[in-house]
Amino acid sequence: MQVLVVDDSQIMRKIIMGALKKLGVNDIMEASNGQEAIDIVSNDNTVGLVLMDWNMPVMTGIEAVRKIRAGSIKTPVVMVTTEAEKEKVMEAIKSGANDYLIKPFNHKDIQGKLEKFLQCAEK
Amino acid sequence: MNVENINPFIESVADVFANMLDCEVETGDPEVNTEEHGTPDIIGVIGLSGTAQGIVALRLPIKTALRMVGRMVGTEFRTVDSSIIDGVGELVNIIAGGAKAKFEGHTISLSLPSVVRGSIYRLNNLGNTVWLTVPFTSPLGGFSLSVCLKPVVMAEKEAAHASSSRR
Repeated sequence: MQVLVVDDSQIMRKIIMGALKKLGVNDIMEASNGQEAIDIVSNDNTVGLVLMDWNMPVMTGIEAVRKIRAGSIKTPVVMVTTEAEKEKVMEAIKSGANDYLIKPFNHKDIQGKLEKFLQCAEK
Repeated sequence: MNVENINPFIESVADVFANMLDCEVETGDPEVNTEEHGTPDIIGVIGLSGTAQGIVALRLPIKTALRMVGRMVGTEFRTVDSSIIDGVGELVNIIAGGAKAKFEGHTISLSLPSVVRGSIYRLNNLGNTVWLTVPFTSPLGGFSLSVCLKPVVMAEKEAAHASSSRR
């Protein structure tokens, strides 16, 4: 399965990609803002999971999720963000995000979320 | 700035160390200042807006920054490059994000982080508030976190109360 990692922080993308590789996921694409993410998932239907930051320049992650769902794209999206308030989690889910991972996370947290979606994709 | 408002930031620093840096951090005594002076540091700065406004500054000696970002990604860094700048920005973003979620009854937004390098700088406080600076020690080196926070809603309520009391 191909995973798209969307974060304006190059370091955070490296951390997430490291966790993906430990799970055996080597088919990884990167984007540094919401608009780039939309461009990729709109043109590449092989993306099986999107890991999306919230606060990014150009276009935020939540705007990108809304536009992805408005375009009837059903690719699962997990928000990976510092936005930890309940209201933000609800906003993300209502906007079409499938799950939520709050920063700071440890390797177990991120691997747990990834395993859940990787198993779903394999079924 | 209410001294208790520093506690969410201290807890957030501890969370970052426990979860992303895999070590513990020790908290020193907070100090109050009206402005922050520089030493040869890398400073991650992020703005807070909403029902509380302020600035959070993560001040790292270069060696500490290299070790912290290196620990995050499992790489050894010897010099400050774009990865270190990016990593310090991400650290202050995560610390401020974790802290803002702990302020009940407030709606706070974060700006995108900025990173400042250099030894000659001055961070001025916002009007009617001060900097609270907390020193930390850790196996990755010492550093400090400075927070300048002004709860806007609370300040407006206090002003309204004072105004009605005078009538």
